[in-house]
Amino acid sequence: MRISVDIGGTFTDVVAIDDKGDLHVRKALSTPGDQSIGVIDGLTGLAEQLGTSLEQLLESTTLFIHGTTVATNLLIERNGARVGLITTAGFRDLLEFREGTKADRYNLREPFQQPLIPRPLRIGVAERVRWDGSVEKPLDENAVRAALKNLQAQGVEAVVVGFLNAHRNPSHELRVREMIDAGDWKTYVSLGHEILAQEGEYDRISTAAVNSYVGPGLKRYLNNLAARLSEAKLQVPVMAMQSTGGVLPVDQAVLHAVGSLTSGPAGGAMAGAYFARHGTETRMVTYDMGGTSTDICLIENGRPFERQKTEFGDVKVVAPTLDVTALGAGGGSIAKVDKGGILDLGPESAGSRPGPACYGHGGDLPTLTDANVVLGYICADTFLGGRMRLSHERAVEVVKKHIAVPLSLSVEDASFAINAVANAKIAEGIRAATVRCGRDPRDCALFSFGGAGGVHADMVGRELLIPRIIIPREASVLSALGFLSSDVRRDFSAPVGKSVPVLKAGELKSVFGLLEQQAREFLEAEGFAGARSRFVRVLDCRYHRQVFSVEVPVESTDLQATDYDWLMRKFEQSYQALYQHSHKNVDGYIDTCRVAAFGVQPALELKMRKAGTADASRAQRGSRRVYLGAWTEAAVYWFDDLLPGMTIMGPALVDSASTSVLIMPGSSATIDPLGSIQITRGRDEH
Amino acid sequence: MSTKPQVKLIKETATRVHPMTLGVVRYKFLAVAEEVVEMMVRTCFSPLLNQSRDFSAVVLDAQARVVAQAERVPIHMGAMPFAIQAMQGAFADDIKEGDILMANDPYWGGSHLPDVTLATPVFRDGKIRLWVANRAHQGDIGGLSAGGYSPNAREIWHEGIRIPPVKLAERGVIREDLLRLICTNTRKPNDLRGDIMAQVASVTIGAQRLQQLFERYGAEQIEGCVEGILDAGEASMRAQISRAKPGTYTGVSYLEDDGAGHHNVPITVKLTIEKDSVIVDFTDCPDQVSSFMNSPYANTVASTNVAFLYLSDNRQGQNDGCARAITIKTRKGSIVDCESPVPVTGCTTFTGAVIIEAVLRALEKASPDGSMAGFARRFRFVIAGMDRDDQTYIWHYFSNRGGAGGNLKEDGWTNLGCIHNPGGSLSPSIERTEAGFPFLIESYELSPNSGGAGRRRGGLGGIYSLRYEGENDALLNAAGEGLIVPPYGVDGGDSGAVHNYRIIRDGKELPLGTRDTNVRIARGDVIVCEAAGGGGYGDPRERERALIDLDLEYGYITPDAAGSRYAIER
Repeated sequence: MRISVDIGGTFTDVVAIDDKGDLHVRKALSTPGDQSIGVIDGLTGLAEQLGTSLEQLLESTTLFIHGTTVATNLLIERNGARVGLITTAGFRDLLEFREGTKADRYNLREPFQQPLIPRPLRIGVAERVRWDGSVEKPLDENAVRAALKNLQAQGVEAVVVGFLNAHRNPSHELRVREMIDAGDWKTYVSLGHEILAQEGEYDRISTAAVNSYVGPGLKRYLNNLAARLSEAKLQVPVMAMQSTGGVLPVDQAVLHAVGSLTSGPAGGAMAGAYFARHGTETRMVTYDMGGTSTDICLIENGRPFERQKTEFGDVKVVAPTLDVTALGAGGGSIAKVDKGGILDLGPESAGSRPGPACYGHGGDLPTLTDANVVLGYICADTFLGGRMRLSHERAVEVVKKHIAVPLSLSVEDASFAINAVANAKIAEGIRAATVRCGRDPRDCALFSFGGAGGVHADMVGRELLIPRIIIPREASVLSALGFLSSDVRRDFSAPVGKSVPVLKAGELKSVFGLLEQQAREFLEAEGFAGARSRFVRVLDCRYHRQVFSVEVPVESTDLQATDYDWLMRKFEQSYQALYQHSHKNVDGYIDTCRVAAFGVQPALELKMRKAGTADASRAQRGSRRVYLGAWTEAAVYWFDDLLPGMTIMGPALVDSASTSVLIMPGSSATIDPLGSIQITRGRDEH
Repeated sequence: MSTKPQVKLIKETATRVHPMTLGVVRYKFLAVAEEVVEMMVRTCFSPLLNQSRDFSAVVLDAQARVVAQAERVPIHMGAMPFAIQAMQGAFADDIKEGDILMANDPYWGGSHLPDVTLATPVFRDGKIRLWVANRAHQGDIGGLSAGGYSPNAREIWHEGIRIPPVKLAERGVIREDLLRLICTNTRKPNDLRGDIMAQVASVTIGAQRLQQLFERYGAEQIEGCVEGILDAGEASMRAQISRAKPGTYTGVSYLEDDGAGHHNVPITVKLTIEKDSVIVDFTDCPDQVSSFMNSPYANTVASTNVAFLYLSDNRQGQNDGCARAITIKTRKGSIVDCESPVPVTGCTTFTGAVIIEAVLRALEKASPDGSMAGFARRFRFVIAGMDRDDQTYIWHYFSNRGGAGGNLKEDGWTNLGCIHNPGGSLSPSIERTEAGFPFLIESYELSPNSGGAGRRRGGLGGIYSLRYEGENDALLNAAGEGLIVPPYGVDGGDSGAVHNYRIIRDGKELPLGTRDTNVRIARGDVIVCEAAGGGGYGDPRERERALIDLDLEYGYITPDAAGSRYAIER
């Protein structure tokens, strides 16, 4: 049995695949105070469902992957550890200077947000490394001792050691850790150059600060969970999902806590990649629309795109992660007529509490979900499989009061307009995410999941002229399913900082050689070798004067070459594809070499079923009135009743316990062998 | 006296569009402006642009009214229509699809010469319907001193190459000869070429996207949306102004040095706030001066609009419709509406900031909850020399911008100086600075007591020390404000500390003035920049004890200052 557990805002999802390839799913309520309670509840529930005990289930488990939001919540709720910083004397305020930026530059009266490490806990010690790695000033070890004592006395739980130019010469940072290890103070330590081995002191110190801020909490949580599962007879190590779409054993994951910040969305992207490979989609955009936000990721050749930088409000994290973009648009997004009289949606959200007005939990502003209820896209009676009855009346009331009356529209036209603004927002978000990677959304399939996705998918696809939309049957537990398609992964990098003409022959080969050696040692220690190990090499290249680099994939054959013509050729190709121009006679500049090491897990094999009859009439469950500019009767189907091969013509609705899918007039939907809905449309429809 | 209406009102042709289309198309315009920015930031060459983001992008209509802007440099935004109008005027009917127009001349609708604007028209049914424009501050544009900002310039020709509206591209084909001409007139031809090509790529992508919008909605609907969006901008600005107390208010702020021998030059503004509109009268401002502190009309309008945008909390309403509620009066030949050929380079950064300050000061009584104490002014310099590879460089000092002023509810932000562009410019990394230039940064820390005392304290500035390590001497050119006139306090708050820059050579301190040029910098010299802090808001004696204790704990103030400025006995 292979098991994955994903923590969501409302539910904890458990997905298990047995040896026959059958999928088992269980949901438990999330327990935000201690997420491990929800994990155990879900696993216990699954065991019951399978007619066995928790112990027997865990004993037979060969792989256990967990994605938690503990680290993310600590950061977003500003609830993390008390962190101290030891840095180069004279530079203790870099975090507070924020590189001189402010996210909202017109709102100059908002409160100043203190950095994660407040000033009294930031201590400078005498030391200095120069730009070329040479030591300008040796480390003052007495000052380090005093600083450590000071931080310990101030009740610090975690320490960041971040010195200037440590990416060039880490000896001073390493020495501080030695000194900590030699003492009796057991504290959580992040070294800037280990967290991020590249130029940019703010990036390294900020990322290390986040690591130390969320690390102790994540460590407590994961260690506690691992102990409980081990007590319950789990024989294999708990693997923790990472933002890179890979997994790491808990003992490694807790040291690199910053790597788990966006692990949930990464799971969704990995699932998308899995379906792309199975559906032989060359390019696909995943779009996961939930209550408060929409996550977007571009997949090419079965792999999600990656990025290096993520901003959490004013906090910057630089670490490899899948390139998942979060948009502030979800079912709970609040619609309003702004001060200028134009309809707008979000970014304010009613969240899950009080939630949309139709939930009847006290929400009194119109949300996107309310609009979709008015339009008939979401059925008030079968929402969440009937577990929650929605109030159509409340939805009508709030849309009327706040939107329809001010804009002199009927309630249905007002709702239709809210829906259209949402589609535009999502579509423009998807466009931005694809063109940023140099791709055209029209060349992609759209992969839609999350509770609110299905209602908008066909319309968003039309906005973008995307030819095909895929909605997986496992839409409600997709992140957890994605975990099971993940390999063990750790990233290694080394700074180069040279322009291409001054690179010596064989220089890159030796840089990559060292990285691969580290990578191989890591994988071997985790039990992966030979065919079960895989390495992906990239280097970050830019024109000398630029800041943003372009990723250039590096093959082992490239490294055999005696010159670097291949490098400039590949770089210019990537650059041209991204930006539609390139520069002749300008030198390339290499920032960083990176190697991602993969320990290959057994492949996830979902059962494929042969297509049967196209006739879906026996799966139909009546019809419902929907508003598409005029009221129309649409056939209603229940997702679980639809079998591979069945085809539905729009207008139609497919409801399930977790979502509703709207199929527009002119579109048709077919169930594919994996059980997913595939929506395509006639040539003239857009 | 000239009173120019900022926007011509031509509404007869507008179609009323469905509220749904309006809401949707507004998003799409914003998305286009954002994509133009994204393309620019990823492809431009010079650090001033790709690190410090000194550029902006807008979508304008056929009448050169800004419909959508990507939030970048506030001072660029309101000035862009004048540049596009000048381009239209210069070429009249001779603008074709695929043309990319370029200009930088302040006397052709520009602000100052380093800001090069590229714009391309979007045609539909044989007519120009929209424009996409990108304005970027180029690192060097020729002229008397490297990096521009020459206090010794006495006429516009001293400040660099003047580019009146020209066609950089004709029907999609770049004019290499013209590009060569322009690049030859700068000290950094490769950077300028790379940056201009990035501008070309960015406006081109913007025009393609807008073309797709026309294919989808048609010209009539799009034009209806443009009117609707501008009307909404106007409505939201009028709503904002109507919250202020009607009346006539005067605000004065001072340029500390007009660069031609005069100090404390007043920029005076008289605001007349009526129900939902305002008249902004600058006619009392002094005559234009012989140095680069003059502000062309476009820059004065942009600065005024920025001050009003800071009052507003509606991001969606930021377009030229806002300007309809604001009437600006200037006197031709004055320092805020200068006439050729006086130099102007200081207008965006120095004079612009003082214009914004004067307007904000006038608004203090009318709209106390929107007012703020003074921000640090900009004291910039460049160092020009040879790097370790014997290549010439021009390094712009872009770190440590000083503190922001406090306001009625909150302390000012640390390191958020310069009211004309707060928080918009990323400071370059110390490590990249050291790797690329022969410098060692010795320290960069907060400067205690720099924030003005007040019930709400001004934000702190920092102290930045740079040691010069080049083999050969380099030259330093300074240009700035804020050595004499401190960031002002409001309602009993103290003013913030002034800037204090100096060069330490052989143990001796040489003060660096805001107009020093061609200062020789030798190996081992240390340039120390103590940045100004923001002004305080409200009486310091009313500051809560807990906040003062926290300031002490954090070292934001010293115990002495707690005693002398906050009357705390310890």
